[in-house]
Amino acid sequence: MIDFMFYFLAALTVLSALMVPCSRNPVNGAMFMIVSFVGTAALFALLQAFFLAIVQVLVYAGAVMVLFLFIIMLLNIEKTQALKVNRGIAALSIVAFLAMVAAVWFLFVEGRAGPFPALPAGAVPASLTKHFGYELFTKYMLPFQVTGFLLLIAMIGVIYISKKPADETVDATADAKGANR
Amino acid sequence: MSIGLNAYLTVAGLLFAIGFFGVLLRRNTLVIYMCLELMLNAANLALVAFSRYNLTEKNPMMDGNVFVFFIITVAAAEVAVGLAIIVQLYRKRQSVMVDEIAVLKEP
Amino acid sequence: MQTPVTLLFLILLIPLISGILIGLFCRKQGALAMVLSVGSAGLQMALCLYLLWSEAWDGTTIHLNYEWMRLGLFSFNLGFLFDKNAALMLFVVNFVGFWIHLFSAGYMKDDEARGRFYLGMSIFMFSMTGLVISSNLMMMFIFWELVGFSSYMLIGHYLTKNAANAANKAFIVNRVGDFGFLIGIIWAYWVFGTTDIATLQSLVAQRPDLLITPISLLLIAGVLGKSAQVPLHVWLPDAMEGPTPVSALIHAATMVAAGVYLLGRIYFLYTPTALDAIILIGGITAVFAAICAFGTRDIKKILAYSTLSQLGYLVAAFGLGTEYGHRPEVIAEHGANAAALFGVGAANFHLTTHAFFKALLFLGAGSIIHALHHEQDIFKMGGLWKSMPVTSITFAVAVLAITGVPPLAGFHSKDAILYIAYLDNPITFYLLTGTAMLTALYMGRLWFVAFWGKPRSVNASHAHESSWVMLIPLIVLALYSALGGFMVMYPRALHFLLHDSVLHPEGASYTLMLAISLIAGIGGLVLAAVIYKPGAAEDRVQQKAPALYAFFASKLYFDEIYTFYVKKIQDRVAIILNFLDLFLVGGLLVRGSAGMVGLLGMISKLSLTGNIQTYVYWFLIGIIGFWLYATGVF
Repeated sequence: MIDFMFYFLAALTVLSALMVPCSRNPVNGAMFMIVSFVGTAALFALLQAFFLAIVQVLVYAGAVMVLFLFIIMLLNIEKTQALKVNRGIAALSIVAFLAMVAAVWFLFVEGRAGPFPALPAGAVPASLTKHFGYELFTKYMLPFQVTGFLLLIAMIGVIYISKKPADETVDATADAKGANR
Repeated sequence: MSIGLNAYLTVAGLLFAIGFFGVLLRRNTLVIYMCLELMLNAANLALVAFSRYNLTEKNPMMDGNVFVFFIITVAAAEVAVGLAIIVQLYRKRQSVMVDEIAVLKEP
Repeated sequence: MQTPVTLLFLILLIPLISGILIGLFCRKQGALAMVLSVGSAGLQMALCLYLLWSEAWDGTTIHLNYEWMRLGLFSFNLGFLFDKNAALMLFVVNFVGFWIHLFSAGYMKDDEARGRFYLGMSIFMFSMTGLVISSNLMMMFIFWELVGFSSYMLIGHYLTKNAANAANKAFIVNRVGDFGFLIGIIWAYWVFGTTDIATLQSLVAQRPDLLITPISLLLIAGVLGKSAQVPLHVWLPDAMEGPTPVSALIHAATMVAAGVYLLGRIYFLYTPTALDAIILIGGITAVFAAICAFGTRDIKKILAYSTLSQLGYLVAAFGLGTEYGHRPEVIAEHGANAAALFGVGAANFHLTTHAFFKALLFLGAGSIIHALHHEQDIFKMGGLWKSMPVTSITFAVAVLAITGVPPLAGFHSKDAILYIAYLDNPITFYLLTGTAMLTALYMGRLWFVAFWGKPRSVNASHAHESSWVMLIPLIVLALYSALGGFMVMYPRALHFLLHDSVLHPEGASYTLMLAISLIAGIGGLVLAAVIYKPGAAEDRVQQKAPALYAFFASKLYFDEIYTFYVKKIQDRVAIILNFLDLFLVGGLLVRGSAGMVGLLGMISKLSLTGNIQTYVYWFLIGIIGFWLYATGVF
């Protein structure tokens, strides 16, 4: 049952992820992205990381992707210019993609990167989330604080960046050329 | 249960490859950004899998999971800043296509 | 407050402070600059006289050293070495310096750039004082260059093309000599491990074998440049482009005598070979310059050649006296420091009197030039006895003094030198006596032509006596030129000058020598009157014997030879070097490497498309490379 669940979720995650770069409309891409993230969250759950699964759904599938969608809609890019891909670039990226897939096959499916440890025997402790919290607030206290600080800095940075420039009237191209020099 | 660590790593690797493919293929900065998130997500999956396969009853190590927690937090911050930059860029150039904003190139 | 060291510090620093004040605040206020500069020179002279006349200094050598900086094992000291000879030189510099400053207050009254002029004068007084009391050769070299710099500044004071050329020439020719001097100092440091003069003296006394002739000769090179000895004499006649007080102060009385002072300061550093070279150079310069003096009509240039000749005299006197002092029988009679006594003593005594009468001659010439609206041709003067009596009388005193007529100052000092020459080396004696005669001859030519007869130009007929500011220095210096041979004229501390270091000979040989030198001197004057005729309007030698005059005027083609050397040899080498520099260094190395980098840049620029995806590919290639390396593929 768990095997089936894994294969199903893996297929769902990978396929919906594949649709992200391949969909013409960025909005569709974002929707597939949400599916992929939810699939990943389910895989987390299979790996007994329930807390992270929740966080994944809340933060990624929820907050981050909503932000993405919001921006896509805000900028309102026309669909016609959405997928105008140079043939050479497409060929090159497909080659790179296939090479990476081959590397993944070579390393993990054929197992050249192995040997891989088997799943440890015995039952998993029931209170894993408790352990997680315990480690987070003892051993990783300082990184935790630093991360909080990082979020604050990001917030200030975003506010600063999104501020409207003082002279919006300046010609955009001239400004960019100035930046070039 | 016969699913080995390599199965999870394969999934993570494929997700990473797809994300990379997207970064290479697309010109839309927003899509490229989403693909970057995908790659981060692939790394997260691999880390959680490693953590799970080293977990024993006597020694419930959660370091991998904590690491993933931090990655998610930082990624959230990064998304906020990055999207703000993209919006500002769009305001200036009226475009989000990377080949139209190639300002790093010498004129 | 009244210790000699404090006084020395004050004497050294007063002109520096005055120079700084003038340089910073009085560039446009000429009158204020004049007051500052003349005032500081006066204060300097007063302090100097107080130091030497009162009981403040008991005549012992003051030797002070302060470490200024230390570079590894090399420590650079600043300090004073104040002995009797330094005291004498200090007296000459400050005494003559002040009177010339006073004279310049009148002479430069109408000059537009008085601030710059007095700035140069104050800097000169500072550096000359420093040069006199420096305790080591390095410090001396610094002041040596500073006097050269102030000389350069003052020669070029009038900002004409000629003045600029003369200033450059003085500076560059001095550079040649100073380069040798610097190498000599470094070599001496390398051999002895110190440049401190007192320490050097004791070291040389202990290990005379360490002293080698090249060091002596290189140290003499500095003297050649500064005291304008052959073959580096060419700058001094040209330096007369500067204002006349500058010519009097720097190019007659003090700076050019610094070379002779340096000779005396390090008299122990000369080997017998070097002393021979000194006598030779001095003798040649004395005769050569005296001959050149007949070939020019410019009053200041005649005086310049006279200065050259007298400097040669001094240098030769130093060499002769030192050599004489090294003789065993002289050492037996006068003690171990006979060399120091006779060489330094004879040279310094004549240096002192020469400073008086040569400064007087230049100031007199300045007074005439001032009165005649910058007319410098002696054949266009004439009739100055009536219009400028004070100037004429003082000038006559100076002429008689330099000719060596007793009992004027020049007689005493010249007599001392000639007597040593007579005892030491008869050939040199006749050479120097001949020079004395030539001196009398050209000074007679100048005097008879310029002062006698009737005015021969409009300017000369309108001449009038200069103001008292200019006449007082003339009178004071005339007093010293006349009576400088007697002890009463000097501060108490300098009485050694006539007591110890000058021979007081008697006997038949001395009488013979005295007769010869007197005949040479007075005979020269009489001969000048006969040849040139008082008040002549034209140079009679030029009329009667043009070839001889052309020979005098050619100055033995030194300038032409140097010009030829610079144009034909040095410039061609420079062209070749320039080509090599442009082609090899500039073209191949500098531009070649720059071009290489540029080419690489152009190639690598192709990879910078500005497109993010291109960078991602580079990133991918990098990761693959890293992965291949990490897994050990290569």
